Amino acid sequence: MNQLTDEKLKDNSSFVKVDFSMVTFTLAGKDYGIDIMKVKEISKASTFTFVPNAPPFVKGVYNLRGDIISVIDLRVFFNLQVLDNTNTESENMIILRLQDHTIAVIVDSIDNVVGISTANVQPPHPLFGDINIKYINGIAENNGHLYVILDVERIFGTGEAAEAEVSAESGTGRRPPSAQAPVPGAGNAAAAPGKTAEESPEEELDLTFIEETLVTFASFYPSPVNQEWIRNRFSSWKAKRGENVQLANKEDAEAFLSSFYSPFTGTFWNNDFADKIASFINKDSKGNFFVWNPGCANGYETYSAACMIKKYFPAVNLKIIAHDNDLIKISMAPGLAVSKPGEGLIYEGFLAESTGGYQFKKEIKDSILFEYHDVTHNYSLPKLDMVVMRDTVSFLPSDKQKYIFQVLDEYLKPGGLLILGANEKPLEPERWETVENAGVTAYKKK
Amino acid sequence: MRVEYINPFVEAAYNVIQEVLQSDIVRKDLYLKKTSHPVLGVAAMVGLAGDVEGRVLIDMSQETALHIASTMNNEELTEMDELAKATIMEMANMITAQAVTKLFDLGFKFDLTPPSLITGSNMQVSNANEVEALIVPLETPQGLVEINVAVRERM
Repeated sequence: MNQLTDEKLKDNSSFVKVDFSMVTFTLAGKDYGIDIMKVKEISKASTFTFVPNAPPFVKGVYNLRGDIISVIDLRVFFNLQVLDNTNTESENMIILRLQDHTIAVIVDSIDNVVGISTANVQPPHPLFGDINIKYINGIAENNGHLYVILDVERIFGTGEAAEAEVSAESGTGRRPPSAQAPVPGAGNAAAAPGKTAEESPEEELDLTFIEETLVTFASFYPSPVNQEWIRNRFSSWKAKRGENVQLANKEDAEAFLSSFYSPFTGTFWNNDFADKIASFINKDSKGNFFVWNPGCANGYETYSAACMIKKYFPAVNLKIIAHDNDLIKISMAPGLAVSKPGEGLIYEGFLAESTGGYQFKKEIKDSILFEYHDVTHNYSLPKLDMVVMRDTVSFLPSDKQKYIFQVLDEYLKPGGLLILGANEKPLEPERWETVENAGVTAYKKK
Repeated sequence: MRVEYINPFVEAAYNVIQEVLQSDIVRKDLYLKKTSHPVLGVAAMVGLAGDVEGRVLIDMSQETALHIASTMNNEELTEMDELAKATIMEMANMITAQAVTKLFDLGFKFDLTPPSLITGSNMQVSNANEVEALIVPLETPQGLVEINVAVRERM
């Protein structure tokens, strides 16, 4: 008898202390929980009203007995795999009542309500991959399942807790400029030529002079990014010009740079070039796909990249962020019109006829965000899958070049793709893996 | 700064200031600033929320603010009293409201907060979410007015 009571007590020791109930559900095969006090109800629905210009994870809005609530697809939100849903089945929704609003989240399947003791909730480990750690309350074990408890107030809330989190993140996430580690191998451009001893001092002098005049006449900044090309070009330039190697004016500088520009710079890509770029992208790309295109100018290359990704990876949720600090050029970009439905160019099939020519289809336009932005200012970018900046870095002073590569360091995902101009190399080449396809080169972040 | 947002703010600032001051004003070149930057002296701030988040700052020196408030009220004001402050806030409200109306016509939806006025010398404005600001400088007969717009998309 005594023993029985003991056993019962022992059995129920965790049960007695149940002070936290959570609704459990699965996302991409893994178990998650949400505090039941935040859950208003559970519901199924299949049709949502699309909201234009909403982030990709917003499925739309839903009419819940007269209340319009927004619906978030948690799988897209957390970059998880979305199971192929042919839209015949309705989606499982958990409707959350947060401090100041009601919101619905879509999950794969909803299990049941599990009671646990808060004492048994383990803090999340910093190495958790799938979901950013700051959105997790903790981990709890029940019946052999491990549940990740989501802090929905912090994920979707607009209250003070969420705000404080954001400011704390931006405070610590960025290093102050003074504390930034110097980038090795990105030495001062003017000092770089001194490194090779084989060339005679006179040639060194000529080269240094050319490098300086390129800055003056063409705002082209020699640096390790384009050093290899400059040296080769200098040899051929000298062979052609003989004694008269110096660049005396803007025309000379342009002539010197004439072979620098990569194919399809500042213009639409053709199918062949786009094929090669597409071959570098991970075939299994799914969910959100973020591309950054600094120095987009008129947007020709931005549209090319958008069409290329839509063509080869129609399933991904594409978002391209295109920046330029030329207000006139970038103002034209969102409404860019082309005169003919280009044979053999990548945008073939992505145009819609409009007054005075052709414009890009809405799905392409919606995937691009053109922003007036100065590259040297602060960024707030998502984690990027791909960066297109062809013949852009070379036209920035060397400190800005370093800054751009620091931005890449922070925002480009490991394995993310970097597309530079044909004659450009990344700073710190040892941190990049070079991939090549028939003359077209790209770099993958290690 | 999304390209589509730029023009509505420039136009609204230009139209409203020209209308309330009844004089010719000159728009100077737009430029971008990092958000931590000094304020001229009197700054009226209107917050934006909705598709984007951010704020609009109408920034000018105290002298300019007094001149503008005097012109708008048709009487000579010599210190930043309640009336002068309310006048500057009203101007900020008009500019932002007109810009938001224009943006709404383009399909972007925002909400506004009531304007607040900050005065003092040697002040800096910073934003936690590190977004850069678009500056629209307008040269008026009363002095320089800077429209400082810092908004970003909700990601």
